[in-house]
Amino acid sequence: MGGSARFLVRRLLRGLLTLWFAATVTFLLLRLLPGDPALAVADPAMTEELYADLLRDYGLDKSLPVQYWHFLAQLAQGNLGVSFRQNQPVLDILLERLPWTLLLAGSALLVTVAVGIPLGVLAATRAKGWLDRLVQVGGVTGQSLFVPSVGVLLLYLFGVRFGLLPIGGAMDDDVTGLTAWASIGRHLVLPCLSLVLVQLGSYVLTLRSTLIEALGEDYCRLARAKGLPNRRVVWRHALRNALLPTTTLVGLQLGFLVGGAVLTESIYAYPGVGRAVYDAVAQLDFPVLQGAFIMLAFTVIVANLVTDIAYGVLDPRVRAS
Amino acid sequence: MTVTRAHESPGRLTWQAFRRNPLGPSAVAVLLLMGVVALCAPLIADYPSGYGEQVLAPPGGGHWFGTDDLGRDVFAQVVWGTRVSIVVGLAASALAIVAGVVVGVAAAYFRRADAALGVVVDLSLSLPVLPLMILVAALAGPSVPTLVVVIAAFSWPEVARVVRSQGLAVVPMPYVSASHALGGSHLWIIRRHVLPGVAPVVAVSVVLTTSRAVLAEAGLSFLGLGDPDSWSWGTILHNAQRSGSLATAWWTTLFPSLAILLLVVSATLVAVAYNDASDPRTR
Repeated sequence: MGGSARFLVRRLLRGLLTLWFAATVTFLLLRLLPGDPALAVADPAMTEELYADLLRDYGLDKSLPVQYWHFLAQLAQGNLGVSFRQNQPVLDILLERLPWTLLLAGSALLVTVAVGIPLGVLAATRAKGWLDRLVQVGGVTGQSLFVPSVGVLLLYLFGVRFGLLPIGGAMDDDVTGLTAWASIGRHLVLPCLSLVLVQLGSYVLTLRSTLIEALGEDYCRLARAKGLPNRRVVWRHALRNALLPTTTLVGLQLGFLVGGAVLTESIYAYPGVGRAVYDAVAQLDFPVLQGAFIMLAFTVIVANLVTDIAYGVLDPRVRAS
Repeated sequence: MTVTRAHESPGRLTWQAFRRNPLGPSAVAVLLLMGVVALCAPLIADYPSGYGEQVLAPPGGGHWFGTDDLGRDVFAQVVWGTRVSIVVGLAASALAIVAGVVVGVAAAYFRRADAALGVVVDLSLSLPVLPLMILVAALAGPSVPTLVVVIAAFSWPEVARVVRSQGLAVVPMPYVSASHALGGSHLWIIRRHVLPGVAPVVAVSVVLTTSRAVLAEAGLSFLGLGDPDSWSWGTILHNAQRSGSLATAWWTTLFPSLAILLLVVSATLVAVAYNDASDPRTR
């Protein structure tokens, strides 16, 4: 158990370090950039007194180290400032929207894995066949897709042309109970599919190449020599080992997934954190932009922590390394 | 003196293998063509500005790619957009490559710096980059230089990671130790041995970083953070989204999307073909 506890503590510390890094990067960027750092907390259009009050509240009239300490202390208390346009604490605005982003990104990740594993296995076991070629070409193309392009295309085809699915929002207003869930599901299909199409390529290609490598290893040759059915060798022996690098990739791509979610939500007017970012860009609402980055970074860090720990439980090699 | 295949340099063999694979050269040709379009934009189409007579006209004789909600020619927008998209992509990639190579080589060569630099790179890679770029671009004010610096500032860690891992394979080589023993200075060894050793991964990295930078530029412009005084592919999509014409006029989004796809797929194919050609197992 000693090893596992150490592993857990190490991962937690790493998560905290990343969070501190994200906060520090934000702080430094706001101060290093040409322009008034007060922009991030105070609207230039405010009255003199309100402006001065805000600067004092945020300690912007103090020295840099004091400001930095103040900034971290405010963050630790969950204070992300006040939105210029909505006169509401940024944290409240974003927390209300976070579940939608989590739903969108989470479902996209789930579908990617659920479709990606069988596709990767099919391509690897039929290496050099037509299906493999197709997967490779599709994978390279998929990696090159621009999220808004995919989103707009799907929106136009399935939402406008064929009118099969809703093109905006996350649910209809006047529904309750089971219909509400169905409505949420229908609104989720297109944004989720856009993200899946963008993610799937690199996932399948990585799984394919690691699986081909694993199938050439001695333990797989031995398993075949023992007369185990091919199916069992692939799914039970090779896949288990090939999943580790693939899972690492999923972790590395979480940041990319979140970026994709921001773009997708912008297209579909999906009421998540990403759409808040889109609206905040148009309104120059800097506290929302800053808060959204910190909240999304926090989400990615926590998600990474959870996958790491889950994988450490499943695979003893992860704990040892 | 007869030169046999075994004596040919790895670079030559790679080049021969690259030429044999039809995908690589055709992708290079597409990229060159886009470069020509970017350079010769004024010769191909008039700068799209003002208002046109036909609003949201579908593709046809007068307007190959149709017109947008203000009657401006979409073909001209895509042509002029090529310029900004490629300039931003190349400039951001050049900055990111320089920074990434410096950090990556330093981390691989000076073992003491490795831990600290490695942590910074790892941490940067695990953050959601797009929201951070949005914040910075919005604060700095949208312009082409802003886009270049912002994209470069968040692209170098990936380059540094790749260069470092390749550098770690070169630095322990006997010929590097021999140079040390002969009294070569750090700078000389890095220039003479380490940089040539990492050059192949840098070459691939240039292509991939540029295509990622083009995507980043398109993403930021799509969100409304593009240079307001010039056209880019992302800006065309932003206009279609903002005016709502994307729901009715497919041509306002399809053609810039195709341009982005064509550029990024070609860049990826060049990188894949180069990797295959330089690897003796797949050559």
